[in-house]
Amino acid sequence: MIFAMTSHDASSLQELDSRDVTIQSGDLVLLRLPNGDVKGVKVEKNSTVAVGRLGSFHANELIGQPYGLTYEMANKILKAVPPRTLQEVEDTEATNELINDGEFVQPLTIDEIEKLKASGVHVSDMIKMQIEQHANYSLKTEYSKEKYKKRKEEKYSKSFTTIEPTLFNVCEYWFNKDRARIRDIRVDSLAQMLNLANIRPGGRYLVVDDASGLVVAGILERMGGEGRLLTICDTDSPPAYPVVANMNFKPHVTSGVLVSLNWATSEEDYIPIIPPSDVPPDQIRSERQKSRLNKRKAVTDLLTRTRDELFSGEFDSLVVASEYDPWSILQKLIPYVAGSGSVVVHSPHLQILADLQTQMRTTSQFLSPTITEPWLRRYQILPGRTHPTMNTSGSGGFILHAIKIYDDPNASAITFPRRTKPKKAKTEHEGIELFLHDAWLGPWYIGVRRIQRRVALKSPMSPIVLQRHSCMVFVYIFERNLHYVHAMSAGLLSRESRMRAMSRSGVNTFGREVYNQLIVQCALAANLALQGQL
Amino acid sequence: MWSTAREIAAGDLVIIWLTRDLVQPLIITPGKDFNSKFGHYRHADLVGIPYGSKVASRTGKGFIHVLRPTPELWTMALPHRTQILYLADIAFITSHLNIKRGSRVIEAGTGSGSFSHSVARTVGSIGHLWSYEFHEVRASKAREEFARHGMNDIVTLTHRNVCKDGFTVTDAVDAVFLDLPAPWEAVEHAKVALRKDRTTRICCFSPCMEQVMRTVNALNDAGFTEITMYETLLRPIDVSHVPVLQPVGEISEKLKQAERKREDKRLKQIAAGRQSTSKRKREDEGTPVKDQTIMEEAAEEAAGGSKRIKTDDEDGAPLDAVPTPAMDLDPHEESDAALPTTVASPPAPSPSPIAPKKISVSKVMPEVRGHTSYLTFASLQPFEPPAEPAPSAAAAMLAPKPKP
Ligand SMILES: C[S@@+](CC[C@H](N)C(=O)[O-])C[C@H]1O[C@@H](n2cnc3c(N)ncnc32)[C@H](O)[C@@H]1O
Repeated sequence: MIFAMTSHDASSLQELDSRDVTIQSGDLVLLRLPNGDVKGVKVEKNSTVAVGRLGSFHANELIGQPYGLTYEMANKILKAVPPRTLQEVEDTEATNELINDGEFVQPLTIDEIEKLKASGVHVSDMIKMQIEQHANYSLKTEYSKEKYKKRKEEKYSKSFTTIEPTLFNVCEYWFNKDRARIRDIRVDSLAQMLNLANIRPGGRYLVVDDASGLVVAGILERMGGEGRLLTICDTDSPPAYPVVANMNFKPHVTSGVLVSLNWATSEEDYIPIIPPSDVPPDQIRSERQKSRLNKRKAVTDLLTRTRDELFSGEFDSLVVASEYDPWSILQKLIPYVAGSGSVVVHSPHLQILADLQTQMRTTSQFLSPTITEPWLRRYQILPGRTHPTMNTSGSGGFILHAIKIYDDPNASAITFPRRTKPKKAKTEHEGIELFLHDAWLGPWYIGVRRIQRRVALKSPMSPIVLQRHSCMVFVYIFERNLHYVHAMSAGLLSRESRMRAMSRSGVNTFGREVYNQLIVQCALAANLALQGQL
Repeated sequence: MWSTAREIAAGDLVIIWLTRDLVQPLIITPGKDFNSKFGHYRHADLVGIPYGSKVASRTGKGFIHVLRPTPELWTMALPHRTQILYLADIAFITSHLNIKRGSRVIEAGTGSGSFSHSVARTVGSIGHLWSYEFHEVRASKAREEFARHGMNDIVTLTHRNVCKDGFTVTDAVDAVFLDLPAPWEAVEHAKVALRKDRTTRICCFSPCMEQVMRTVNALNDAGFTEITMYETLLRPIDVSHVPVLQPVGEISEKLKQAERKREDKRLKQIAAGRQSTSKRKREDEGTPVKDQTIMEEAAEEAAGGSKRIKTDDEDGAPLDAVPTPAMDLDPHEESDAALPTTVASPPAPSPSPIAPKKISVSKVMPEVRGHTSYLTFASLQPFEPPAEPAPSAAAAMLAPKPKP
């Protein structure tokens, strides 16, 4: 069964997109520059786009192009170049022992470089010339060559890459640019909020977004023009959601979906002060007056309809990322959320959510309000040099999630007789956790980590952490004078082989000398089991 | 996918929330009963009540919450046939792969369908998910589940080994997600399935770094770019509501008070020793070393005193305000009153007389998940290397700058 799209399919699919696949006149386009910076530019037909020190190009060069391509710029003309792949610098023996960073002799003078640039010599040719003339270059190792080349390229290259304004990319761009304006909502935080709020096409959502419209942008993107998004803002005029502008949405994504009220108009007893718009026809004196009256009527009608819609309630979720007191917001808006609907509140500050949670627990409208902190770590992926990136964001804020429920005041909890646990059950245990990583891909890796955690030492067999599938064997040893030895393997290992591994390792044995034996036994068992399975 | 009606109807799949750690799916079948240690319920009694209701057991003891299923609740409730993905990873992958309404997505393997449900919700009825599973039983269980959840028009499940036989679609999908032991074996197949008219994305989910390295090489060889890798977790925060912390000034006052009392007693005893020539009861008890007893008493009093300061102000005495025996049984307490003391002045400035304020404090839960998997992402750009010198688009662009 082969599914291939016909051209008809392709075109009808494009109708469904929330933005054009190609860059359109009027779009805000994010460009990644050679040094990694991201810059937003407006691409307006027949204009010139300046990209800082890189130079400028004709906007028409980009219009109609798909996102994601890399271009080189020369004389305001763009040339698409192949995307860069990872340079293979396989296991070189190279080190930077002989390199004094920053002390490169520069055989080409600045003047010479400028002249070359002016004469339109290609960057890579220029770098080649540089290298050839570089007196010390033969001394340089592979490793430093790569580094050197990269530095030079960054310096002289006039290339850039267009970034597709996906929610992820736009969120990352704003987070790096000005995280305060999006209230510390990092990409992972936003992703979790959207999932927790059960955002889907066709849903109805109630949103308070003081995060420059990032949350609104995310919800609109996920809804794709289908459903209702009602936001409550703190302004007299319709709210400005600047992040939404970065998404280059097609009109249908916002127009039929997004409506707004403010904190006054969203009150049930609010009485709008509206100048009359129902003027008898014979009193209308001019066309201008007529259109003004029509406009006024449209605005009033929209306001009335939106208010009715809010008050009729049954919204699927309430999402809040606001500078105002979240408890006051919940009290006002929770009546309009449907039973079993999600309540999601983000805040840069844990304290705010901790207090909110305490308050939510005093009423019986919320099931299990829970606070979590999103955590994210990015890695640099380079051959032979993979590691977590050196700079990472400290916080993406905190998320409180709860489910709206209808209470039954007559229901009473069942009380279970407290099981008396062995005294030891809740004590802090210093421990060593040994984990065998990957018994089949490479050499066995034994990590040793000091950990401090609460463990219920009910039985030495009680599983402590069930790690995800794979060929890992975990050996946990929690000691306070070596009380217990835990061994477990997880994942691809079948239950039987896991049990075998555990029993072989001799649970409940004492003494430091069993460690090594234990590890080897587990690994063997794991390896055997894996071989059997693969 | 699931019912969007306000009220529960017969045949609906609902989520029964017993406790946070005990969440289970239930298909409402009038005539059947639902029994748990949280009471007994008739399915028929749940029909017609609004989703999100708290329902008391028929005996009146115990209750449950009956919720509308969402992919997030399903992840908490589903029957495990494999290891599954949870919220943090699912959300991040969905976001990085740019999955949204209308997206066409491939996943392999299906496993327990945790990721599948979330994707199906997000892409909606105009999107599509092709899901592959090579384990026959898992494949058919998942197929049944998708059908029961009304996902047949969104999900196509195929029983096959994708590493060996590839996928069933060509140039069709926006994103591929691989949760397999050897994703690198499926990378070339993924490339075939991805559409070529725009940027498309892939994510490989592997717990071990060695797997990541092999995957990265395969992606690079296949022409994927912007290869990057993440780890994401969710740290649960524990909030408790506790009385405001005591300032050390109060402790200092208590200590000083105890000290004064002790000194007072010492003086008292010296005085008593001098005055009395006859031996009294006290010696019958055979006090060993006088000074030591005094020290102990003082210590006891210090302890008792600290309790007292708290109990004085609140009568709904909390646990830690239970009077200690040391305080009540101290035989010297009464004699104190009889004698002139230096502690006659009112005790330390006591904290405010109203009930102590409480504060919310929070910390990360003691036991948290430390690693799930590495998420390796890459994208495939719609770049076509100019086979022949392209019809000089560049030259066309050299056109003179338009006049405003
Ligand atoms: C960890 S599970 C996936 C869990 C899933 N992501 C979820 O969230 O529930 C991995 C699945 O991939 C399946 N699998 C492994 N190799 C496969 C292959 N080559 N082709 C198809 N399925 C495969 C396994 O049978 C297993 O069910």
